[in-house]
Amino acid sequence: MKKKIRFRTFKPYLFLIPIFALLIIFKYIPFGMAITKSFFNWNGANLNEFIGLENFVEAFHDKMFLESIVRAFFVMVVQVLIVLTIPLLTAELLYAVRSKKMQYFTRTAITFTMVVPTVVVILLWQWLLNGDTGVINTFLRDIGLSELAKPWLGNSQTALGSVLAVGFPWLGMVSLGGMPFLLYFGALQSIPTDLFEAADLDGVTLFQRIRMIDLPMIASQIKLMVTLAIINSLQVFDTVYILTKGGPGTSTMVPAVYMYEQGFSYRRMGYCSALGTILFILIMLLTLVNNKFLKNTETMD
Amino acid sequence: MKKAASVLGRVFLGLIVLLVLIPFFLLLSNSFKWSEEIVKTPFSLPSVWHFTNYVKAGEQVFRPMLNTFFVTVCVIVIVLITGTLAAYAFVRFKFAGSTFLYLAIMALLMIPGFVLLIPQFIQITNLHMYNTFWGLILPPAAASSATATFLLKTSMEGLSKSLFEAADMEGAGEIQILTKIVVPLSKPTLSTVVIMTGLAAWNNYLWPLVSTTGENTQQIAVALTKLIRSAVEGNGVVFAGYVTASLPLIILFCCASRSFVAGLTQGAVKG
Repeated sequence: MKKKIRFRTFKPYLFLIPIFALLIIFKYIPFGMAITKSFFNWNGANLNEFIGLENFVEAFHDKMFLESIVRAFFVMVVQVLIVLTIPLLTAELLYAVRSKKMQYFTRTAITFTMVVPTVVVILLWQWLLNGDTGVINTFLRDIGLSELAKPWLGNSQTALGSVLAVGFPWLGMVSLGGMPFLLYFGALQSIPTDLFEAADLDGVTLFQRIRMIDLPMIASQIKLMVTLAIINSLQVFDTVYILTKGGPGTSTMVPAVYMYEQGFSYRRMGYCSALGTILFILIMLLTLVNNKFLKNTETMD
Repeated sequence: MKKAASVLGRVFLGLIVLLVLIPFFLLLSNSFKWSEEIVKTPFSLPSVWHFTNYVKAGEQVFRPMLNTFFVTVCVIVIVLITGTLAAYAFVRFKFAGSTFLYLAIMALLMIPGFVLLIPQFIQITNLHMYNTFWGLILPPAAASSATATFLLKTSMEGLSKSLFEAADMEGAGEIQILTKIVVPLSKPTLSTVVIMTGLAAWNNYLWPLVSTTGENTQQIAVALTKLIRSAVEGNGVVFAGYVTASLPLIILFCCASRSFVAGLTQGAVKG
């Protein structure tokens, strides 16, 4: 008996060796490195000198970096608004239709689009938005609105909006795709039907029902999607890097692309680490604020 | 009034579905055309179906797809093994430091991937894994294994304690309990993990961009951005490449659409 207990005490650690071997080498050590190298002037090779807070001081005077953060906040606001409107409306409408066939078809169609590789979606939109041969411009010319046709991605006035529109109507820039819709719709479907029957008996109107039953019942899904939209907005990379590389000028430069450039194009890896640390802290703060702020809505039900 | 609203609702729904699907339809139909037709009449079906586009695209995407397939399978296997073992340890045993170790894994979900980009790059360079399959496989596997542990632990906690007790009475060893009881009962969650991890690995763009160069280990996401258009076919070949690269996941989706919805939505938890 005694022997068995002793066995039990070291056994769990055996089970944990593989995962921690992986995490220590590829997560914990790199994370430690990411923080410490923030204080170094470092090119990843021979140049490696401690410079204290200089990287951070430079970052807070770096106009391009600061602008990229402001841009990320703009992206964030747009993303949050989107997550709260179109998918919610679509889910409510589809739920209201009450035709199993239509629900199945719509859900499958939307899931299908999420299965297509992200890069394919981005490149597909590169073609749609193209200036000369793009489908959107061809369409505008076909319907006689050729004066509206423009090089969407090549014009600093329209580039950010165009990048944001990738994946319309979901706006795939933060790679949520149809996920908000799928989650909302799934949550609506799991509301017990007797709740609605009771509401019907009480003569509750549609809008009252949505406000009193639907929204509280899917509040946790909405909260999750808002949180993800916020976190992902600060991390956008693929869409911008593939479509515009931050240009034209700096009109679509976002923090992750700027970091990538500093690190890999200019080999300023210490500075790049400092930028990463700042963004990490920013994301943590936003998550905390967000949790605190959104908790209040949850106590509603 | 109610009827009008319902009709309006259906029209709006139809419009949304149409908007979602049109780009993909355009991609598919134009992948059979040649350059001139794509530019002039992108909206109509091909007048001649040029299946040769796919042959030419295949030459360019076949190798990267094979590379990516290999990486994806390896990542999935590693994540399944490490995640299952870890989740089992947390659910089955009470041991010193279990809460701390679990939190240590969960904390990783809070670190955005790009913060680790540079140090991970340096790390694989130091380990001589730059431009190798090891370098492509292990860091993404580490990221996904944390999420997998979380999902699997949650689902294993739902298993009845009396199951473990009965197995103990029978004198079953831990490995037996794990493989004969826990794994079969966790199948739904395991398939969620497979799809989530597989999608992430197949879609990965930034990490292969950083950690590889040249064609030997080139991953499909990177290869797609570098497809070469030829003079006559123009974008036709490129589009055929996009469609080909999407096919494996689409075929899988047709076979297991239920698990896909779960895999896509539960992946949201990882943040």
